[in-house]
Amino acid sequence: MRFLSIKWGRKMNKIFAVLKREYIQIVRTKAFILATILGPVIIAAFIFVPILVSVISVGDQERIGVIDVSQEVYQELEEKLDFKLRDGRRRYILEEYKVTDDPEQLKEGLNQKVLAGDLSAYMYIPENIIEGGTVEFAAENVSDFEKVSSISKVLNTVIVEKRLKEAGLDPGKVSKYMEQVDFKTQKVTKKGVEEDTGGTFIISYILVLILYMTLIFYGQIVLRGVIEEKTSRVVEIVLSSLRPFQLMAGKILGIAAVGLTQYLIWAVFGIALSSYGSSLVSGFFPQASGFKIPSIPAYVFVYFVVFFILGYFLFSTLYAAIGSTVNSEKEAQQLGTPLTMMLVIPILLMMFVMRSPESTLSVVLSLIPFFSPILMLLRICILLPPFIQIFGSILLLILTTIAMVWLAGKIYRVGLLMYGKRPSLPEIIKWVRYK
Amino acid sequence: MKAIDVKNITKQYGDFFAVKDLSFDVPSGSVYGLLGPNGAGKTTTIRMIMNVIIPDKGSIRVLGEKMSEKMKRRIGYLPEERGLYPKMKVGELLVFLAQLKDFRGNQAKDAIDKWLKRFSLLEWRDKKVEELSRGMQQKVQFIATVLHKPELIILDEPFSGLDPVNTKLLKDIMLEMRDEGVTIIFSTHRMEQVEMICDNICLINKAQSVLKGNLDEIKKEYGKNMVILEYDGNARKIRDYPDIEKLDDYGKYMEIKLKDGADPQKLLSSLAGKVKIDRFEIKEPTLNAIFIDKVGEKNE
Repeated sequence: MRFLSIKWGRKMNKIFAVLKREYIQIVRTKAFILATILGPVIIAAFIFVPILVSVISVGDQERIGVIDVSQEVYQELEEKLDFKLRDGRRRYILEEYKVTDDPEQLKEGLNQKVLAGDLSAYMYIPENIIEGGTVEFAAENVSDFEKVSSISKVLNTVIVEKRLKEAGLDPGKVSKYMEQVDFKTQKVTKKGVEEDTGGTFIISYILVLILYMTLIFYGQIVLRGVIEEKTSRVVEIVLSSLRPFQLMAGKILGIAAVGLTQYLIWAVFGIALSSYGSSLVSGFFPQASGFKIPSIPAYVFVYFVVFFILGYFLFSTLYAAIGSTVNSEKEAQQLGTPLTMMLVIPILLMMFVMRSPESTLSVVLSLIPFFSPILMLLRICILLPPFIQIFGSILLLILTTIAMVWLAGKIYRVGLLMYGKRPSLPEIIKWVRYK
Repeated sequence: MKAIDVKNITKQYGDFFAVKDLSFDVPSGSVYGLLGPNGAGKTTTIRMIMNVIIPDKGSIRVLGEKMSEKMKRRIGYLPEERGLYPKMKVGELLVFLAQLKDFRGNQAKDAIDKWLKRFSLLEWRDKKVEELSRGMQQKVQFIATVLHKPELIILDEPFSGLDPVNTKLLKDIMLEMRDEGVTIIFSTHRMEQVEMICDNICLINKAQSVLKGNLDEIKKEYGKNMVILEYDGNARKIRDYPDIEKLDDYGKYMEIKLKDGADPQKLLSSLAGKVKIDRFEIKEPTLNAIFIDKVGEKNE
């Protein structure tokens, strides 16, 4: 027994030495440090910058020209379009332009004013507006959705009220009758009913994309690492001290440790963000209080890590096998594309699974080992599937991974020492049969 | 004792024999040369000894045992296809490679410094490998091979790419290690290196061994009918001499093999006056001559 444990210890020592080398070499690269720090900064920026911009920016007053051919709208529009800037001034200043004999010429003149910056936009209200004519809104920039829709809303209110009055109805009453029905979405979970404000969708989407990107990213690191060992010709020196399988295991575990380190840093950042983020924002900018960062249930994180680890082992061993058969990164890109497709396909299926997470097709897709890390995690995020399904997908994933590790180990062992021509598929199959 | 015992090994790729029915043994504590032209099967043989590839037939015993993973610690191996991690620092890399041989701690650090000093690389210890010249990298590779004090060292083309100064340094170190009892086997196609340091050789051509044994005995067997001639003048006058069996002319230097029973003194007197003779030496054949004789083609 003692002898056995010494032998075992030696083997582990070697794998650990490889693991440590991989870890240190990657963790101290600038690329890793940047990605680890910039990752959360970018995500935080996506969340906070739009809020801050809307909170801080005062905005400028805008002059909008109005040609009211109908002569019925301008007065009330001027009264009702009274949005205020943060400093209390009116946001829109309307300028009426009297209709002339030649409206086209008038419009042309206003076009020039818009281009010169004297006006930010102008409206042309036709004579038959009450009967259902079309208002033209012309500006240099018409893609500011918030501005265009808010103006059109006010204009609508004004015109609809006019129409109601003409028909002898009381606009106040009608608007009360026409009031929108409140529609509150609630998510049913084991813990009871909770309100869902669309956070589930965004969180699922972000988590699954992070998983997808990190699986590809770390798979590529494994691929490049193997190719580097091969092209730098260091591999045979290393193999004079350990088995190919130990080298592969050490490399894959080392890079997994890098991935988990990165997640840990991001998780600490994320937890800090979700616990103090809201109060931080509202502390600095009281106007933004009430802003809420959606929280994620703990089990989602657990499954996320489980599926990252399993998916990573499955894909990285295959990336390692591919790396061992090629002589350059260019060759590897060609050979690696089918494998990368196995990660892209579930992303393409995401929308479908999100819409009907419990359909038979979704259940089957989320059990397929190459798809399950992404699709099962997605289903877990949306609504927790029966445990037997989760367990089944994890079991299938583990069994497939073991089979692939065996297969990849065989290919890797022969491929590492083969230089020159890229092997054909029949040749690779022959390698697997070598003793 | 035999440090390596190779018996009837064969390695075949399709119809092509990389090694065919090869046998040889390396006595403990000696320097053994594995010779042969490019593509003869030297690297395949060495890879089979190292268990990197497995022979189709035959058996190999290393240090008295069947080759296994735990043997790797007792062996230093410098492969023909060799390189280093370009982004690692020289010192770190050597610590890593020593760890893989279960050689760690201060002992390893001291050994690394000692070897770096010996190869005048100490000030490069904290530089990245990619900043080193090719020759320096080769020296680092050699250090990695011998660092963990192996009993057996297997070197595949150790001198290729080294300048004369470093070739000499490497040769000196190999001989020192032999004197400490280390067994060394190395492959090469450069005859003069073998002649300088090998006790025993095995000459491989086209996957098979054509000559093997103790270098001195092999030479003796060939007899003292070799004439080394350094001359100035018209070589045709020498070529005309009837008792010459074979002649290898380099312009000012010539290796002549005389027919059996021919008297070298007669050749000397017949040459006198025809060409200017700077050196006339009767000796055993050079390994180069034996090699050409056996392989039947000129070696660089």
